[in-house]
Amino acid sequence: MKKLLPAILLALGVVILAAVPWIASDVVVQFGINSLLLAVLAQGWNIIGGYCGYPSFGNSTFFGLGCYGVAIALVQWELPFAVGLAFGVALAAAFAVLLGIPVLRLKGHYFAIATLALALAMSAIVSNVEIAGRNIGLVLPPLNNDPLFYELSLALLIAATLTVFWLTRSRFGFGLIAIRENEEGAAVMGVNTTLFKILAFTLSGVFSALAGGIYAYWITFIDPVSAFDIGLNVKMIIMAVFGGPGTILGPVLGAFLLTAVSEVLASEVTTLAGLFFGLVVVAAVVLMPRGLTDVFHQFHKAGWRYFLNNIRAHRL
Amino acid sequence: MTAILEVSNATRNFSGLVAVNNVSFKLNEGEILGVIGPNGAGKTTLVSLISGTLSLSRGDITFEGQSIATLSAFRRARLGIGRTFQIMHPFPGLSVLDNVAVGALFGQSGTSVGLSQAREQARTQLEFVGLGDYADQRADELSGPGRKRLELAKALAMRPKVLLCDEVMAGLNLVEIDEVIDVVRRVRERGISVLVIEHVIKAIKSLSDRIFVLNHGEKIADGTPEAVLSDPRVIEAYLGRSRRE
Amino acid sequence: MDLLIQVLINGVLLGGFYAIMALGLALVWGVLNIVNLAHGAFIMLGAYLSWYLYEYGGIDPFIGLPLNAVIMFAVGYAMQRGLLNLIVRAPMFNTLLITFGIEVVLTYLAQLVFSADFRTINPPYAGNNTTLGSVVIPDVRLFAFGAAIVLTLGMWVFLLRTKLGRAIRATAQNLVAARLYGVEPRHLYAMTFGIGIGLAGAAGALYGVTSQINPYIGASLTAKSFAISIIGGLENPLGVIVGGLALGIIESLALLYVGATFGDVATFGVLVLVLIVRPTGLLGRTA
Repeated sequence: MKKLLPAILLALGVVILAAVPWIASDVVVQFGINSLLLAVLAQGWNIIGGYCGYPSFGNSTFFGLGCYGVAIALVQWELPFAVGLAFGVALAAAFAVLLGIPVLRLKGHYFAIATLALALAMSAIVSNVEIAGRNIGLVLPPLNNDPLFYELSLALLIAATLTVFWLTRSRFGFGLIAIRENEEGAAVMGVNTTLFKILAFTLSGVFSALAGGIYAYWITFIDPVSAFDIGLNVKMIIMAVFGGPGTILGPVLGAFLLTAVSEVLASEVTTLAGLFFGLVVVAAVVLMPRGLTDVFHQFHKAGWRYFLNNIRAHRL
Repeated sequence: MTAILEVSNATRNFSGLVAVNNVSFKLNEGEILGVIGPNGAGKTTLVSLISGTLSLSRGDITFEGQSIATLSAFRRARLGIGRTFQIMHPFPGLSVLDNVAVGALFGQSGTSVGLSQAREQARTQLEFVGLGDYADQRADELSGPGRKRLELAKALAMRPKVLLCDEVMAGLNLVEIDEVIDVVRRVRERGISVLVIEHVIKAIKSLSDRIFVLNHGEKIADGTPEAVLSDPRVIEAYLGRSRRE
Repeated sequence: MDLLIQVLINGVLLGGFYAIMALGLALVWGVLNIVNLAHGAFIMLGAYLSWYLYEYGGIDPFIGLPLNAVIMFAVGYAMQRGLLNLIVRAPMFNTLLITFGIEVVLTYLAQLVFSADFRTINPPYAGNNTTLGSVVIPDVRLFAFGAAIVLTLGMWVFLLRTKLGRAIRATAQNLVAARLYGVEPRHLYAMTFGIGIGLAGAAGALYGVTSQINPYIGASLTAKSFAISIIGGLENPLGVIVGGLALGIIESLALLYVGATFGDVATFGVLVLVLIVRPTGLLGRTA
């Protein structure tokens, strides 16, 4: 019974989320699509950053490639949406493998900044590609069906979360965690670290690209600046870290909470939402570096001292 | 006797510095071979060259007759070479049991083992090294001696044919050393060949069938423990230096 | 041919600015082992500070540069003591993340306070040029280059010759060394971070006289500073000069031969290439 309860609650949560388009207003549904896609990005980042321990600052690249995959397929080639999604996924996977091979050899700061640099360069490169509409961008044929986009986003989030759940009980996931905890130690125990890192980067990229593809079709207009927005990296990392990197539900929780708060703030002043994200990450790193899920687990033991203990452990 | 592992003319440079110079030796099947030498003699470098975390500058290493010099670390691990780390390398955030389960999942017969099976095997290995009661602790909560045992259990879970022990007795007290010696002997009884690298001579003397001595990256003597330890060159290089320290 | 010479000179002048921009990041990275992702945002703040000093105080940006650096030093010192010190022993990712958060906060604060409009600092001599044959050099760029080189060499002397400088260099190897020099580690860390931010302030002042200021210039300046640190290594300010000049010339050449939009692509391409080929820096020590 004790094991069953969380599963029942979770199933109930999914049913309620799925029912939103039928019971809530259009504004709520639009907010929902936004939150769900951000949650997918946070969950995608969780695979490479949370489980494999490689803090990618360039996952927005995958999102952008997903956007352009759909946009190019729909606008330039007049292919169906599903083909566009597949094209975007293929682009992202190719990018993850080709650039992952050199970049994933880097560690720590070097990996983080290299991925950031790739993300910075991406919008400049795409601005010069004819088929991607250069710096003007592409206008997609509109499809006014928000409930459909909502359910698609929800399905994608469930798929991403189930994948992460599978990670926690599969050989592959064990290998990733071993790499995160100690890469050299993992290699001498037989983990094919190079292959596993590239697979994790690719998997992470596939979910981000799918989110991008849905986003592009929903928003109907993309250009290099919006598709390869560096700020998106900020958001997905902060959401995952705030919720709890390397946990199954932490990034989803973080994404829902933070988008909700920033939505409220943005309705006052747009800048406030961005400011809030920055403050949250600073406070989170200092007070709860292992995220909300860890607070839930530890708070009842240590009480408010939990936060003090975190500071004490890391200050000079 | 057949050699399971053969190192020939192994050399490794670090930007001009020679850490291991032209070292050759054989590890026979079922043997316990000891390696001693002062700090900085190149012992750990030698283990890393065999396990594949460092690559050779020159020379060759064969395992069961096949050259493994160009294979990456994980392939060597899957062939059956397990190692421990002198500076203990657990997966700190994982439980002690899961640390060992990684070995069962990715070691020699890894691909065919499921997660629950791997944990079962891991539990057996933990019992074997005497860590059975600590299975559910986080690895970074283990004491120093506990981590030494964990290193052994992790390597054993891979079902290796050769076990490379890098200073598994350093920092232990006499009782703990005796316990580890007992574990290593029982490892050999399972048919695993063992290379024991040690700074503490006393421990290695009673354990090893043969030993050889490294000094400044070069092999300066080998033979039975008694013969080697009475060799004047060894006393000069190794003991003479430790006396000065 | 003249065009090429002009471009090379542009590159060298830009490189001087790049050197001073990267120096602060390299210093903090080398000593505190923190890659300060907010470095570019502090340069942005320094640029605004310079703009305010000029617009409202009538202080020439070059004359106000030391004042700017001192104010920014104080900001940096306080930030290290009050905030970064709390996480200085945390894992690498956490320190990266907190400076990332600071960068976001500074960017949005700047947008809130200064608005997103472009600003320029236009001292009376802004339009003056020096002509050498067919090569035309704007005076402000020449002054900025001179100031950058003087500052970088000054830092070099400071690190090599003064007691605090030596303590800082020793600490880059080992924190315990700070105590050997009789410097309290927290104070030394805060001094180092303060100097790093002071240098960012000075770089901001130079940026302000040569380019347009807006709240969003930070991220790309950070990435470039990082690229330069990688090329030049962390040990020696002179390495940063080489890295800065290299990047300045590469960018100017990219502008000439492959077009304006590829300037950044060239920078980051070089960065990723250098990282892959030689992660410890072209001039850095080997592992």
